[in-house]
Amino acid sequence: MRALQSIGVIGAILGALTLSGTPAHAKDMVFTSWGGTTQDAQKQSWAVPFSKQSGVTVLQDGPTDYGKLKAMVESGKPAWTVVDVENDFAVKAGKDGLLEPLDFSIIDKSTLDPRFVTPYSVGSFYYSFVLGFNKDQFGKKTPKSWADLFDLKTFPGKRTLYKWSAPGVLELALLADGVAPNALYPLDLDRAFKKLDTIKSSIVWWSGGAQSQQLLVSGEAPIGMFWNGRIDAIRKSGVDVGVSWEQNLAAADALVVPKGVADKDTAMRFIAFASSAQAQADFARASGYAPINLGSKALMKPEEAAALPDSHSQGQITLDMAYWAEHRDAVAKRWYEWQGK
Amino acid sequence: MSSISIPNRRNAAARPPPVPSSGVSFVLPALLLILAVFILPVVMLLLRSVTEPDPGLQNYRELFESATVARVFVNTFVVSGLVTAIALLIGFPIAWLLVILPKRWADLLFGIVILSMWTNLLARTYAWMVLLQRTGIINKTLMGLGLIDTPLPLVNNLVGVTIGMTYIMLPFIVLPLVTTMRAIEPDLLRAAALCGAGRWEAFRRVLLPLSLPGIAAGGLLTFVMSLGYFVTPSLLGGAGNMMAAELIAQLVQSLLNWGLGGATAFALLVLTLALYAVQLRLLQRGRSQRGG
Repeated sequence: MRALQSIGVIGAILGALTLSGTPAHAKDMVFTSWGGTTQDAQKQSWAVPFSKQSGVTVLQDGPTDYGKLKAMVESGKPAWTVVDVENDFAVKAGKDGLLEPLDFSIIDKSTLDPRFVTPYSVGSFYYSFVLGFNKDQFGKKTPKSWADLFDLKTFPGKRTLYKWSAPGVLELALLADGVAPNALYPLDLDRAFKKLDTIKSSIVWWSGGAQSQQLLVSGEAPIGMFWNGRIDAIRKSGVDVGVSWEQNLAAADALVVPKGVADKDTAMRFIAFASSAQAQADFARASGYAPINLGSKALMKPEEAAALPDSHSQGQITLDMAYWAEHRDAVAKRWYEWQGK
Repeated sequence: MSSISIPNRRNAAARPPPVPSSGVSFVLPALLLILAVFILPVVMLLLRSVTEPDPGLQNYRELFESATVARVFVNTFVVSGLVTAIALLIGFPIAWLLVILPKRWADLLFGIVILSMWTNLLARTYAWMVLLQRTGIINKTLMGLGLIDTPLPLVNNLVGVTIGMTYIMLPFIVLPLVTTMRAIEPDLLRAAALCGAGRWEAFRRVLLPLSLPGIAAGGLLTFVMSLGYFVTPSLLGGAGNMMAAELIAQLVQSLLNWGLGGATAFALLVLTLALYAVQLRLLQRGRSQRGG
């Protein structure tokens, strides 16, 4: 009998555990992103005004974790209502059946940058990978191009690159090796890895934005590739770090809805709000990332817009999400094999 | 302090009192909880290794054929071995001090050892990053003293991982050692001295052999825990020394290849259990020798 009681207690605990992730009220939703300064800006520019307008409480969670997302969808009751993911993942996850198709009768597609719209996702914001460097470390010499990132003689020291298999690192290796921007795709993986081999022992990986900032500012890695918004945030904090926009690599984050969310309608309305011209302009102002709504720039002051990636469109290269969606798994396998070598 | 320490060796060796049958129901909730929230999910992940993407053993074939996986496992064992060896070298004298120091000083030292366990793992790892990085306190001090011209590479490589993990594992070496050493009769060392043994001789022929059960227990505990370590290697490690847990995390979180991730986790689990079996054997042998 006592044993039965304890089973009951366990059952109650487990029930509470599984429920604790999902919103308590029908009028709640959970927005999940990558944390740090970026998610703060998303909260202020999207979630707070959306709550005011709709009465829906937007709870924040993070960081985004694709493994968690998949597990939630498989459990049938995802706790996350809207998730900020990388664009190549959005395309793959849509194909793998992990996402709800978006309702474009609620979300106004016509105002959005068509580069970052798919049936399962719209852009969240777009960013560029730029070359950043610590000005104290190289004296009068100023790195400019991706080739300089691979020049250990002129610019000695560790370099920090994005850790995960994702659009960016392979492209910049090929550009540094002299491949023309219009001949990047399909990626020559052998050539890219061979180029990366030349600096491999000097690479320090960053797996999150805050870590990249720490590595750069401390001088642990005086040069590397960074999300432009993170460089922007360092500069706003008063530390003078160098940046080169030459051949900056543009990619987007995407907003997606995990398959099986309880309140699809709220999810769609949140995305419609977050991708609107005003919300995108507010976010761009706060984060230094570019809006994906084509009407946002008109709402910003010229000097605010100057810090954004789209004022550096000269020489900008848009990473090819169609290629990545197609080859994500194959590239990933090569990637971690090379990393572990 | 005695309330925290592991039961004395002699007590542990004695036959435990018979378990009253009603005691089972006290343990049952804990067992069920472990079963439901730990064992079950692990088994489910392992099942995926033979069901995803297709039923069969292809994930294990990939695992065994992959040079990367082999390299990652070798690296995992090398790092774990290194950490265990260094933690033993540092932990042994600390444990001995804890046993022979007057109670007040021993309590203080014990507090310092234990305190590190009570601090958040991530905070401790970041603290090491601050200490070890190029512009960190250690490099700045050494350069300020003129001992080095360029910063030593102490982090984002094997050195950083080893320092960080050794520090974290130290209590797990010290606690079993203290328990073992407490049970050593001080008279034995006195007798050794009386018989003309120098300090080194007494250490080598009396203290060390009698401490062996503690060395084995603490060493294996540390080694096995190191095998699955994630946070410290991923934050303090470099590009070239990925450990098994990092590989699994990458497979599961980023690549969503749960089949291969499950297979890798299973391989690590089997290796760990094998070591655990060795540990049990060693402990049993130690016990029966003493009994005989």
